[in-house]
Amino acid sequence: MIRIVTLERLDPTDLAFLTGTLYRAFGVGTEHAGDRHLPADAEGKDGRVDAIRLLKDAPPVRSLPDDKVLYITSAPLSLPKGPLGEPPCWGFAEFGGERAVISTSRLPARGVTEASIETWRKRLAREAIHALGHTWDLHHCYDARCAMHPSWSQGLAERPEMELCTFCREKSERKIRLAKT
Amino acid sequence: MKPGDRVVYPNQGVYRVVGVVEMDIGGKRQSFVRMQSEENPAATVSVPREKVPAIGLRRVATGEQMEGVFHYLAAQFDDPELDWKVRHRDNADRLIAGGVLGVAEVVKGLHSLSRIRPLPTKEREQYDNARHLLVHEIAVSLGVPAVLAEDYVDYALMPPAGVKFDLKPPPTPVLLPSRPKKRRPVAEDEDDLGLSDLGIDIDLAGALEGAAALPEGDLPAAEGEEGEAATPGAEAPAAEAGGDEADEGEGDDAAARPAKAAAKTQPKAAKAAPKEKAPAKAAKPAAKKPEKKAEKKPAPKKATKPAAKPAAKRGGKKK
Ligand SMILES: [Zn+2]
Ligand SMILES: [Zn+2]
Repeated sequence: MIRIVTLERLDPTDLAFLTGTLYRAFGVGTEHAGDRHLPADAEGKDGRVDAIRLLKDAPPVRSLPDDKVLYITSAPLSLPKGPLGEPPCWGFAEFGGERAVISTSRLPARGVTEASIETWRKRLAREAIHALGHTWDLHHCYDARCAMHPSWSQGLAERPEMELCTFCREKSERKIRLAKT
Repeated sequence: MKPGDRVVYPNQGVYRVVGVVEMDIGGKRQSFVRMQSEENPAATVSVPREKVPAIGLRRVATGEQMEGVFHYLAAQFDDPELDWKVRHRDNADRLIAGGVLGVAEVVKGLHSLSRIRPLPTKEREQYDNARHLLVHEIAVSLGVPAVLAEDYVDYALMPPAGVKFDLKPPPTPVLLPSRPKKRRPVAEDEDDLGLSDLGIDIDLAGALEGAAALPEGDLPAAEGEEGEAATPGAEAPAAEAGGDEADEGEGDDAAARPAKAAAKTQPKAAKAAPKEKAPAKAAKPAAKKPEKKAEKKPAPKKATKPAAKPAAKRGGKKK
């Protein structure tokens, strides 16, 4: 089961769209586990929240083994600098683990038109699939139309894809099946 | 090698040395290095001590070496091997004997190629496998979570728009000692013939791959699951089988054991399993053949223009 925890309120229709999309992507039941607060001291000096720490300190929700917990925040996330710099962060996850987090801060503006809201929802769902995919052992994918493609991929803003490619989908299905048995 | 050391078991992942244990194998006292998977601590393997070099166990790359890896990943790459059979075999070798840079080479090479056309299934799996190995070694080496390590990899491989790096000259990948590189595919060796005969040739890669590695699709993660389910069992068989191998002097084959819990009771069957022609004989000579080293050439590269060739092939060869 995927349990979504919102760290700020999310529009119920956005949430409904997200749970439906996640169910379709992974074939796993998805529910909103409620709102929680961002840990009080989560915000760093630069106004961003350390994604690794957030996952560690995020308020727990009741979950069963093999459940996945997806946190959604509007706070911008930061990552420790790597050998070539700091990669931009849309979300973060425990590889093969339980928790994932995504941030809405880098999504295109939600706006008020039907089209802009739809784009926003799709992009949110795409990041959710990506982050949760990591919890099922998925790596990044070279297929630009796959949700496991790095989130800074160019062109993503215009056509957010909410699908996993066949390879990633089958891999996640194997993993999910394995967890069930 | 002492307890606490972290080592890379080629094609399997990062392990932590637990200690050295003495075991009786078929009435023979033997020393085994016991190791625990970093990814899945429930999975342990024991390998005969004297087989450690043959298996290719190596230390996890240092931070400094890793920096080189990132400069390598971010560097230009315009020379993909276009013959998939040669490529697949070379890549299998790199994963086993190329060190961390060899693993990065596989990731980078296949990534570059994937931009020209989608990879065939076998290579898609090899790519994922290489990525898995690289990501986890980076994670351990730099002390960061795996997902972050993977972001680092792709930040280097395919930087976001507008990001430019101040790159140092990348390190040169080690030349594989096993056989000369053929850069120019010969006619009958042309690619896209299908994947059915993949890995059937008895050569180093075939031998190592069949013997020392899991079937490619079986990522260490999957292996972990197995280990989790049957840990106590999983350990003994490794040792047992390893001991068996030790007698026969098949270091490479022994490498397969820890992963194959199923092999425990019938090592012979397992040996034959990967292919009809069990690489029992091939493994050893291939690993040692010094005469072949001489033939190794850095190879006149730039034989073909990457962009042109695949297009021609795509048109001409598919079915
Ligand atoms: Zn990712
Ligand atoms: Zn994919």
